[in-house]
Amino acid sequence: MAHVRISAKLPPDIDPTKAPIAFGERALPKLNEELQSPELLTRQRALMALCDLVHDPENVYQAIKLGFLDNLKYLLLDQDSTVREKTTEVLYIMATHNVGRDGFLENGIIPALSQLLNDPVDICRRNMHRAFEIMAELPAGAVGIVESNLISSLVLKLKTELDEIQELILDTLSGCLCVEAFEALATGAVPILKEKLTHPSVAIRSKAARALLGISVPLEGKNIVWDEEVIPVLISLLEDSDPEVRANAAGALMYATITTQGKYAALSADAIPPLLKLVDDETSKVRLNAIKTLTMLSEAPEGRKTLLNHVDLFQGQLNDSSEAVSRAAKIAIKVIEWKP
Amino acid sequence: MLPARNQEAAAAASGTYSYCSRPRALPARRRYRGAPGPKEEPVRYANLMYDRRVVRGNTYALHTLPWVGSPDPLEIQRQREAHRKALARKRAKEQLQSRTPEPAEGRRHVDVQTELYLEELGDRIIEVDVECQTDAFLDRPPTPLFIPAKTGRDVGTQIEEGELFDFDIEVKPMLEVLIGKIIEQALLEVMEEEELANLRAHQYAYEELRNAELAEVQRLEEQERRHREEKERRKNQQSQLLQKQKETSEKIAARAFAQRYLADLIPSVFSSLRESGYFYDPVERGLYYFFSLQKTCNINRAVKRLKKLIAINCTIKKLIVIYHMINRTMFLGYLMLLNFIRRGEKLVGTRILPIRRGRSEDRIEDRQGPSREQRTEGRMDDRE
Repeated sequence: MAHVRISAKLPPDIDPTKAPIAFGERALPKLNEELQSPELLTRQRALMALCDLVHDPENVYQAIKLGFLDNLKYLLLDQDSTVREKTTEVLYIMATHNVGRDGFLENGIIPALSQLLNDPVDICRRNMHRAFEIMAELPAGAVGIVESNLISSLVLKLKTELDEIQELILDTLSGCLCVEAFEALATGAVPILKEKLTHPSVAIRSKAARALLGISVPLEGKNIVWDEEVIPVLISLLEDSDPEVRANAAGALMYATITTQGKYAALSADAIPPLLKLVDDETSKVRLNAIKTLTMLSEAPEGRKTLLNHVDLFQGQLNDSSEAVSRAAKIAIKVIEWKP
Repeated sequence: MLPARNQEAAAAASGTYSYCSRPRALPARRRYRGAPGPKEEPVRYANLMYDRRVVRGNTYALHTLPWVGSPDPLEIQRQREAHRKALARKRAKEQLQSRTPEPAEGRRHVDVQTELYLEELGDRIIEVDVECQTDAFLDRPPTPLFIPAKTGRDVGTQIEEGELFDFDIEVKPMLEVLIGKIIEQALLEVMEEEELANLRAHQYAYEELRNAELAEVQRLEEQERRHREEKERRKNQQSQLLQKQKETSEKIAARAFAQRYLADLIPSVFSSLRESGYFYDPVERGLYYFFSLQKTCNINRAVKRLKKLIAINCTIKKLIVIYHMINRTMFLGYLMLLNFIRRGEKLVGTRILPIRRGRSEDRIEDRQGPSREQRTEGRMDDRE
């Protein structure tokens, strides 16, 4: 019988795990049909081929127009774990493109993805969290995540997930906290984040500090941070070896010390010496946050007294390379030398 | 049988031939050809093809009406035998006729074998018994592969090198396409990652600035709030202070005024009463009445007068009390009036009552702070 392939020996680069991609315009529609096929092997192969194609933004656009997202939503709940893994991977790659993100928001992929939060396979959950993380970097995406009431489940997952996935969740939360922090506060995120601040992994510490930064922007957040006595832990993190951790810790302190009670808590926990050391740090972010925190602390009389002796340090930063740092230094000097 | 013969005879007599026989049972079929059956019955039927009575051969030179007359069966037999003998004689004669010429004198014809190899002729035929027997329990061998006979013609060709195409030239465009596609895909993926990394870096920088600015904003807000609250508190304190001071000064003023106003009320009342003769020396009066009693013995009138006097005393005492009460009420009323007017002034914002200049307490109290107030308080306590 005549066969499509010319010879019995296959050429060496045909991948039997991928479905053959049709030429030109027909590639995506044919894959769309194959995705709906009842046979498992066809679906798996179609998904693998789709993974490759989706790196091209034009294909993403066309795929969304053809209505791939509905099929993918259906496949997310498939029995076979390979299918789910590949589907989440495809969705993750789509989310890295702007077109994909818009398509997600329009087609309500986020609630569909959130059904996989308790999936037994690690890879699925990891891809899903990666997709969420990328969505959270976009403001509209963060709004979408908040609206799907995912924050409380994400916060609860922080306690139980693997480290890798925890990092992704923390990133997602930092993005969402810029939009709305109340839900996270209501689910008791602050104690959990406080635990994570002392985690052995550097990345988790820095991301947890960043999330705390986001949480302490609104007033309730600041109060809860003071209540839970996170401030001493943050101060101990100021001496961490990783600059990111220091920067984020200084930033979280910056927000927490805006309230009077926060100021006094920081002063009583002896925050000024480590902060003074950080003013000369290499990373501009660390310097900026440290100077700002010291500004906050100098509004309290005791802080001002101590810092009056160190004004020259700030004057050294006036001519810093980063414009924000020099501005902050100017403001700091003004505040320290203010007489009532 | 007999009726059949009879019929035969009858038919022969009429001149036509007819034959018929009764149906007979078939004899048992003999198994083997040639072996005669155990009890052979004469053949009843005759095959038409092998029937002697059927005329064969050409019919145009036969005896006409051989069956004319009634030939005797004996006659027929004799004829037959004679015919037979004639044939036999003819045959023998033919045999005896030699085809070869007669042998010469003293010679005889002998049959001789003239082949290369002589053959022994004998009556007895040499028989050899040959047996054949298949092997016991031999399996059926597999059917041999059926290879159909080759039909058609075999033709061979051979493509020499370099005849079809030159690989190096032809492969170039294909390679270019393949490599191009691969690199394109790789570039896309790398660009994607780069884009993402750029996005993130951009976001971090922006976040840094945003956090710093937000913190600044919040700090300034806090500061603003604190200052405002402080100001409010101080203002409230100050206004309360002023309020108290005003009140105390008014109290003092009212009291002083009332005192002065009512200062010589009592002396004037008593002096006028004394002038009008309402007060009397009781001893003198008693003596007078005693003597007047002696005079007129107008005890009733005396008693009445005593009573009147007592009543007048009482009324005077009451008057005094009333006057004291009026004093107080006037004083309080004056204070209230002042209060009302001051409050009205405050509401309206204009001054109706003049500010009392020249009063040392006012000036000092307006200028100085709490310490002075405490001092004025002390003064008030002294006064009270």
